Amino acid sequence: MPAENGNSKPIDSFEAFRGMRDAYLDAMSKVMINAVNTDEYAQASGALLNSTLTLSAPFRQALDKSMVMALQQLSLPSRQEVAALAQRFSNMEMRLDDMDAKLDRIVNLASSVPPPSAKTDSEAKRPAPAAAKVAHQASTRKR
Amino acid sequence: MAQAGVLPEYWSDIDQRLLTFNKLMTTKFAIGQTPKEVVWTLNKARLYHYIPVVPAEDRHPVPLLLVFALMNRPTILDLRPGHSFVEYMLARGYDVYLLDWGVPGLEDKELKFDDYVLDYMPRAIRKMKALSHSKEFSLLGWCIGAIITTIYSAMRPDDGLRNLLLLTAPLDFSRQHELTFAHWVDEKYFDVEKIIAALGNIPGEMIDYGAKALKPVENYVTNYCRLWDNLDNPRVVESWHAMNTWVTELVPMAGGVYRQLIVDLYRNNRLMNGELKIRGESVDLKKLRANLLTVIAEADHITPPCQSEPIVSKVSSTDKEVYRVNGGHIGIMAGSGAHKQTWPHIDEWLGARSE
Repeated sequence: MPAENGNSKPIDSFEAFRGMRDAYLDAMSKVMINAVNTDEYAQASGALLNSTLTLSAPFRQALDKSMVMALQQLSLPSRQEVAALAQRFSNMEMRLDDMDAKLDRIVNLASSVPPPSAKTDSEAKRPAPAAAKVAHQASTRKR
Repeated sequence: MAQAGVLPEYWSDIDQRLLTFNKLMTTKFAIGQTPKEVVWTLNKARLYHYIPVVPAEDRHPVPLLLVFALMNRPTILDLRPGHSFVEYMLARGYDVYLLDWGVPGLEDKELKFDDYVLDYMPRAIRKMKALSHSKEFSLLGWCIGAIITTIYSAMRPDDGLRNLLLLTAPLDFSRQHELTFAHWVDEKYFDVEKIIAALGNIPGEMIDYGAKALKPVENYVTNYCRLWDNLDNPRVVESWHAMNTWVTELVPMAGGVYRQLIVDLYRNNRLMNGELKIRGESVDLKKLRANLLTVIAEADHITPPCQSEPIVSKVSSTDKEVYRVNGGHIGIMAGSGAHKQTWPHIDEWLGARSE
């Protein structure tokens, strides 16, 4: 909390400390940025990660095996089985999405055809060209 | 005598600061508050449509789809009321959609760029086009989201993409000596297959550590010292709280896409070299012809400017611009100066191309 002088201007007694701290942190920051950019750091962090994974692998595998066995005994699905099921759900979702896309296309096509009320009476009575062609073919075949 | 009252005041101030500090560390800020609705889902991915605030007749007809990175939540685009990119764009008449990749589970460990680009993106875009009744759209990709949108734009140039905005896009990996990440994941030291085999998905904590370790003193010490200095400033406290909430919401990365990121991009620079294949199809950046704006953060230590700029010379777009902003990887869009610099420029550029 800053103290105040006669002109009610706050005096921060920690200002000097903060200045020193910031200068130190800036210097440290530059040192550390250079350090993490070195081959030695890349090598050391890679080696640390590698050894952690190597050391933990046997425990992880043993735990996985025992968990699968325990779940089997309890008639419960394993993590892998649940994951496989989830993958099937995703595939089904994609199929549904494809059907949704097709439906959208059908709706768009249907909405682009003018409604029957827009046709004149004489047009409505006249058969559509395609239907007329089929009717004509059928009549000639009969003959 | 005046000095006698000063010491208790100091203690009371420290006590108050400790309380505030504790609250910031143990609570979450309500980020991502702009009203929205889910309009499409696939697996963990969600497509959100933000409720427009401008009447339909005053809105830009071309909708905008936001695509963020895979390893953090996209709420950074809608950080807090009064300081949200989404809110800003809505107020300027854009029809805004957001593709949230969600949090991958064990069943998603094989997901690759191939899946995100060819299964998720086209489906989400189809839905957005159907809902907005627009044949054209704009895409904004940020960080790894920019990789995904770039690949998509090059592979599906006839899907109606009019404008492509890339923010701090890590696309060119040729200048290896300038990329600290490239150093760390060098195949001499980093066994990517062993990591994926052991972990399946790469934990968010591991990716977060990688990002923070690029500037360890800033991220682990200076950040907290600055906060301590400003604990009596409610604006700084609120902003820090929101950002810290976002930073600590970590998302794992699917093993398949992590492998591609390291092997295809960081080690072999296959996208820029024209050697990247997505489901057997080559990604040819020359096919990208949408209007292009690439935003570069001058002080970006995660995606240095040298990674984002070369895309401009590789694409066929005739309308293209590089916009440089002073700031860091996240700061240019979520920092205190974003609403004065980056957002207005994006609005100006996109508005002129969204009619």
